Amino acid sequence: MRVETHPDPLLVVEDLTVSYHRVPAIHHLSFSLGRGHCTGIFGPNGAGKSTLLKSIAGLLRPETGRILIGRRELPKAAPLIAYLPQRESVDWDFPVTVRGLVEMGRYHHAGLLRPFSKKDDEAVDGALELFGLAELACRQIKELSGGQQQRAFLARAWAQEADLYLLDEPFAGLDRGSSANLAGALRTLASRGKLLLVSHHALSEAIGLFDTAILLNGEMVACGPTPETLSPRNLECAYGTAVYSGHHHHDHR
Amino acid sequence: MTVHGLLNSITEPFSYAFMQRALLSCALIGFTNGFLGTFVILRRQALLTDALSHSLLPGLAVAAILVGLSPAGLLLGGLLAALLVALGGQLIARNSRLKDETAVAALYIIAFAIGILLLRYARVKVDLVHFLFGNILGVGDGDLLISYGAAALTLGILVPFQRPVLLTLFDTSVARASGIRTGWIEAGLLALIVLALVASLQAVGVLLSLGLLILPAATAYLMTDSFSRMLWGSAVLGMTGAVAGLLLSFLANIPSGPCIVLVLALFLGTTYLFSPRHGVLVRFFRGRHLHEESLRRWTGHEGHDHDLPGKS
Repeated sequence: MRVETHPDPLLVVEDLTVSYHRVPAIHHLSFSLGRGHCTGIFGPNGAGKSTLLKSIAGLLRPETGRILIGRRELPKAAPLIAYLPQRESVDWDFPVTVRGLVEMGRYHHAGLLRPFSKKDDEAVDGALELFGLAELACRQIKELSGGQQQRAFLARAWAQEADLYLLDEPFAGLDRGSSANLAGALRTLASRGKLLLVSHHALSEAIGLFDTAILLNGEMVACGPTPETLSPRNLECAYGTAVYSGHHHHDHR
Repeated sequence: MTVHGLLNSITEPFSYAFMQRALLSCALIGFTNGFLGTFVILRRQALLTDALSHSLLPGLAVAAILVGLSPAGLLLGGLLAALLVALGGQLIARNSRLKDETAVAALYIIAFAIGILLLRYARVKVDLVHFLFGNILGVGDGDLLISYGAAALTLGILVPFQRPVLLTLFDTSVARASGIRTGWIEAGLLALIVLALVASLQAVGVLLSLGLLILPAATAYLMTDSFSRMLWGSAVLGMTGAVAGLLLSFLANIPSGPCIVLVLALFLGTTYLFSPRHGVLVRFFRGRHLHEESLRRWTGHEGHDHDLPGKS
């Protein structure tokens, strides 16, 4: 296993174990990633892709180990993180426009009561511009295409000035045009020094989308540049063995 | 009827002290419930709230047995019973195979049954019908005080915390990831909703109190795509509907609770059909336009963006 070390990593995961009802979903993961990378998380169903993202977002409590973002632990690091939920978990009928959604990214900066400052408005305008949503700003979020919806959430994260983007299966259910659109937006973010961590179920096109990859199987199989990480040998190791679930259950048939 | 007579019949209700109190009470609870209804609708908790309104009954009965019919006692009893059902439902859902809506439904109907039995043993002679359907003309100073308190608390808490509450409503897990204590916000909302339900008991009773919460918010939801417009619009609709319903009930000499709910229902029915953006009739007649738009896409006049809409 090759784990890249960065002189000044944005994200450091050390010995991370997370369990659901005492059954571990990910075991003793350690890796670190620097800024400016678009990192794909791969592995079979149940490998712990979503679990890893949720625990970095602070939604699940680690059983062992710790997570450092910009040298800080949660909850202090929360403003640096933008977690993009799976599309099914969003209520697309919610009474909010694209602009309103992006403005939510500024709430943390504006606090409870302070009205939006000029800087806040500029951040919102800049985010809408960057993701090609300026003309759609007044639309309700359901009136966007799938790719535009994903970009709207990325724009919110941009307005928040987050450094670490956690995306859970953002390409699921997108057609080809929308996928290409989203991939372009992800590349833009990486080129601006953001770190993106993206769970992804399909291995095809992985090399085009992600410069680094993490291959999981409940445990860390490999982590590093995409072509080496997703080598046939590593993939055999990740997909060829049953996911470790904590139960030593063997079915002798 | 002459013009003078018509004017008289409209201004007449305002000349009675009991009617003035009733109108003020209606305006207050209509506003508070309408405001809170937005949160109920957006969290999809209309039926949970119905369960809560029913579970008030045993609390009211216990309070009536222990301290008689004082507004403060009723408030406390109702509040406790509803919170017990809500929290108990969560507890059962977490520890067993039962889902939370099953657990809450089971608990509330059990609580309701206990409430009906307990009311037989209340020291003062309590009319079940009074609790179930309310009696707006019997609003006392204590009831008014509760209405004032509910309105003040609701606005005093939710207006300053509007941003974190909005984030929690829109996406709880994202809000939690950004460091907001969503558990506290959810518990606070629940407590305010129960408070609003208790405040509207005297006016419309256990069974119809849900109408004040749900109907104006549902109406506003069909009218606008802006959260704050929905919030305040629903509050104003609730206030208008409650006052109009009460006046109508006085003029036509019919029961006030159903009258208020039906006026609010009229609002909802109208927007359901005619809302400019989400109305059923309006959407129906817009069909052709959408077809043309779709045709334009296929023939490729919007080539710069290949996204096709409507996949969410």
